[in-house]
Amino acid sequence: MTDTPAARPVISSRHVNFWFGEGDLQKQALFDVTMEVAAGEIVLLTGPSGSGKTTLLTLIGALRKVRDGELDVLSRSLHTASMHELVDVRREIGFIFQQHNLLPFMTARQNVELMFQLHPNVSHSEASRLTVELLTSVGLSDRLDYFPARLSGGQKQRVAVARALVTSPKLILADEPTAALDSHSGRDVVMLLQELARSRNCPILMVTHDPRILDIADRVINMEDGRVHKVE
Amino acid sequence: MYSSFFLAWYQLSHNKVKLAVAAAGVVVAVMLMLVQLGIRQGAMDNSVAVARRVTADLVVVSPRTKTIFASAQFPRRLLYRIGSSDDVVEIGEMYMGQGRFRNPWDKLEFPVSIYGINPHSPMMNLPGIERFADQLELTDRVLFDSLSRKSYGPVGKYLNEHGPLNVEVNLRKIQLIDSIEVGISINSDGNLFMSPANFQRMFPDRQSGSVDLGLIRLKDGANPEEVRDQLSHYVGREAKVLTRDQLIEAEIQFIRENAPIDFIFGMGAAIGFFIGFVVVYQILYTEVTNHMPQYATLKAMGFSDQYLLRMVVSQALILSLLGYFPGFVLALGLYRVATNAIQMQFSMTFGRAVGVFMLTMVMCGLSAMIAIRKVKTADPADVF
Repeated sequence: MTDTPAARPVISSRHVNFWFGEGDLQKQALFDVTMEVAAGEIVLLTGPSGSGKTTLLTLIGALRKVRDGELDVLSRSLHTASMHELVDVRREIGFIFQQHNLLPFMTARQNVELMFQLHPNVSHSEASRLTVELLTSVGLSDRLDYFPARLSGGQKQRVAVARALVTSPKLILADEPTAALDSHSGRDVVMLLQELARSRNCPILMVTHDPRILDIADRVINMEDGRVHKVE
Repeated sequence: MYSSFFLAWYQLSHNKVKLAVAAAGVVVAVMLMLVQLGIRQGAMDNSVAVARRVTADLVVVSPRTKTIFASAQFPRRLLYRIGSSDDVVEIGEMYMGQGRFRNPWDKLEFPVSIYGINPHSPMMNLPGIERFADQLELTDRVLFDSLSRKSYGPVGKYLNEHGPLNVEVNLRKIQLIDSIEVGISINSDGNLFMSPANFQRMFPDRQSGSVDLGLIRLKDGANPEEVRDQLSHYVGREAKVLTRDQLIEAEIQFIRENAPIDFIFGMGAAIGFFIGFVVVYQILYTEVTNHMPQYATLKAMGFSDQYLLRMVVSQALILSLLGYFPGFVLALGLYRVATNAIQMQFSMTFGRAVGVFMLTMVMCGLSAMIAIRKVKTADPADVF
């Protein structure tokens, strides 16, 4: 790996330690985690529950403050960032969660379009064009104005994928996006995600237990007891 | 495009039933506040209505008098001293008493306020009394207040259709010659107006030399305060001279101290405020609680705390607007019902409308402030 800016890793974690609680209640969750995700790469993070993979994901997603070690995400040093800067970093990341967490009082279209509220430089017409385009590419062109309650689990997760991608994020973080879905629609969603990310050269870091989707990855990082165990 | 205000509206309007319940809570609160404060004002206004009707520049009362509805008398001769002032144009006297009026239809007696006053120059705002002045000078001829309560029977209607009506007041037969419109208060259910001479006939036990209220008209350009101070020396310690404004002020003061109007109706309004506060808080709080994962998700994706806080405050704002206007219309209706039912005037004032609007905003705002604390606890790291 060279040092030219283009090839700089999107995520670079060096000797990151993390613990919950203080004093006697202190419990360390991550030990000396060093890993990288390069531009355009799709990396899966696997490991048994309690291995710290979700904790690592929340650190990379700027949802928690780094306590020890160095963590650069999208060329920003999260270990020195203020709360305000952390929120800024989040806006450049597309998040996909186990639960779709769509707003139940807004339609699929509105849920996706809402993301442009964080990108006020995009015009209204451009925003609605991109929204329709993306919902169409996840196969929901005929469900644009449905409320989440009237969509199936797979469809809701596909809306969530569209929501994560619509503002052209520089990184996708996904946390077991297939966990709430049956194997068939789970695989559909992940394939869709892979395809869309590849076409935009957008890197993905995905936490998963699901062995059926390991084949989509460029690399698999296996974690155990808060340490990087094995990189395949 | 999707401002926090629009999001608030989507969230509130998504469940129409919930929205209706929430708005209804605010409607009730607004209505209660407006009606209670309106009745408070109405009761207050009506209580000082007699004092407000005085058109004399100065009044003379007994130093023992606390309110003109329960006035102590003072010797009439004091009024004759006042005539020596150059600034005094006219001196009138007024007698007041509570009589018992026998309803000629059901033969039951009801208390009635009786005023003895010079019908040619009453120095009171009693519209139309001059028209009957000559008739009122005759023995036992009396004017009826057609705005009196219905307990006296359909007297006004009878007078209009059939002319004079003989009735019994204080066990004395008198003739009601006609009616004028004056109005009643919480102190009096009905009014009779007559000459001082007829008043004496109605109350034979009263000393003929004592009056309840002296009415003084000053010449144009005279300063009421200065003349009052001058006249106070004339009457000494046996009577008190007040300006018209002082009389009204004293009446208001008396009501404040002796009738629990402020307390009762203030309490009613406070209860309305509290009901609205609790309903709005409940609605906002459950909305926030039910959407915690979604709010945390929004935060994880980069929405600021402020965006979510504005969303909750906007919901409070929407609820207060949705509740205020129907509540306002309902209150207007209730004012009319109350006016008809107890024949006292209740009306909306601009100040009250604006004041209660502000209170409604504060009510919903406070609810939002408390519900907001919950939003702050939405932790984006918990979404994973």
